[in-house]
Amino acid sequence: MMKSRPLTSTAAILVVALLMASCSNKQVSRIEPDTVTDLSGQWNDTDSRLVANALIEQSLTDPWLGRYSNANGGNPPTVIVGQFRNRSTEHIPVSTFVNDLENAYINSGAVTVVAGDAQREQIRDERDDQQDNARADTRAGLGQELGANYVLQGELNSMQDEEETTRFGATRKEQIVFYQVDARLVDLESNAVVWAGQHKIKKYIERKPFGL
Amino acid sequence: MNRYLLLGMLFLLAACVPKKVEEQPIMENNQRAGDASATVAAASAQAEQDRANASAERGAIQAEALADCAPAVCDAVVRGEIALGMNEVQVLAATRTTGDAWTIRHSGPSLVMVPEDERVVPSDVVGNVAMVQLADNRVSRYGYSEAQGIRLVDEPYDATTEGRAEALAESLTREGDELAARGDLDAALDRYDRVSVLTPGDPMVDYKIAAVLDKALRPYEAMIQYQLFLHRLNLETIEAEGAAAAQLAEAIALAQQRLVILERQAR
Repeated sequence: MMKSRPLTSTAAILVVALLMASCSNKQVSRIEPDTVTDLSGQWNDTDSRLVANALIEQSLTDPWLGRYSNANGGNPPTVIVGQFRNRSTEHIPVSTFVNDLENAYINSGAVTVVAGDAQREQIRDERDDQQDNARADTRAGLGQELGANYVLQGELNSMQDEEETTRFGATRKEQIVFYQVDARLVDLESNAVVWAGQHKIKKYIERKPFGL
Repeated sequence: MNRYLLLGMLFLLAACVPKKVEEQPIMENNQRAGDASATVAAASAQAEQDRANASAERGAIQAEALADCAPAVCDAVVRGEIALGMNEVQVLAATRTTGDAWTIRHSGPSLVMVPEDERVVPSDVVGNVAMVQLADNRVSRYGYSEAQGIRLVDEPYDATTEGRAEALAESLTREGDELAARGDLDAALDRYDRVSVLTPGDPMVDYKIAAVLDKALRPYEAMIQYQLFLHRLNLETIEAEGAAAAQLAEAIALAQQRLVILERQAR
């Protein structure tokens, strides 16, 4: 009877360990895409959304649209989306907010957007293929592409500043992350910048010791 | 003494306090970032309204422009090209614009239309229109904004392909002359080469090309160009033209002189 005690304790420890392991369960839930969810403090979907919202607001309410429209009998300007460079130290998919801006242009009808260089080649291949293989009355005509009046370009820059303070063995970390997104619409003929938009995001990230 | 030491230590401790950022956050977790759908919807409604207004206005302009136009003017309106003899409405129709695109200045029987905004100039099928002048409500002169400057059209020949090439050649020659004077011989040669494409057979262009090649120490090419220049000239015709050809005669003499020198050097 005396010898069975260690065995019981071992079994009890095992059961507790098993229970603890099963307690670290994963929880996944769908949440609204516009919910602010800052975890690490790095660039995330909220930043992308804020940039997109700001650039859409700035570009669709700026007088450049009216100026073009007035000079061209009410026709909307044609824009091609060019290069947006990520000059920050983080890996940031700039196409998320660039696509939001492009979608806003298309859906508003205030701007005509033409396919960029990546899509263009595929479409041209398809059109060339139609000339050989499609029925004559259904072929897409050649030389009917819309020439863009403006090219949308931009870049994303970031800066960081941080400091660690150690007191009684505990380290407190503060970090400032600053992002600046600049977008420009450049006249393809004259190189004149007809619109320039900008959005800045500044984050303060504080990591306290022991969650204090 | 101890009191001073304590104060000193307190002072040092205060100086070591972390530089805390005391700013209220403008957005925190679980808030909503919102979207731009309201802005897009407003822009869409505005664009729709503007398009409808402009379309109605353009339609009325087109109808009025084509109502009683001479055949040549009607053709130009349909092609989307400004032509001499058009009236103000026909200019709007040809450029597919409305009055919003232009600043119109009246001066007696004359009227000048210039772009309302220099950053976005109206255009016809030929190019960007810099100005249109009307006398007695008929276009008497108009100008295009081109790479070499403003090209004016004030007679029917200027609007033809040949007339345009001639005007372009003239401005390129002027540019080439300036570059040659500045000593940029390669750029000058480039301009003269372009002129020779636009107005083939112009002996003065051949002479300028030869002279630039000569100055650029390219003797063999210069020799060919001098010979081409002399070959193209009909000396008898020049003599018949008398004083008007004096400039060419001088160029001939210079070309012959240079040919002799270059041929000697080549030997």
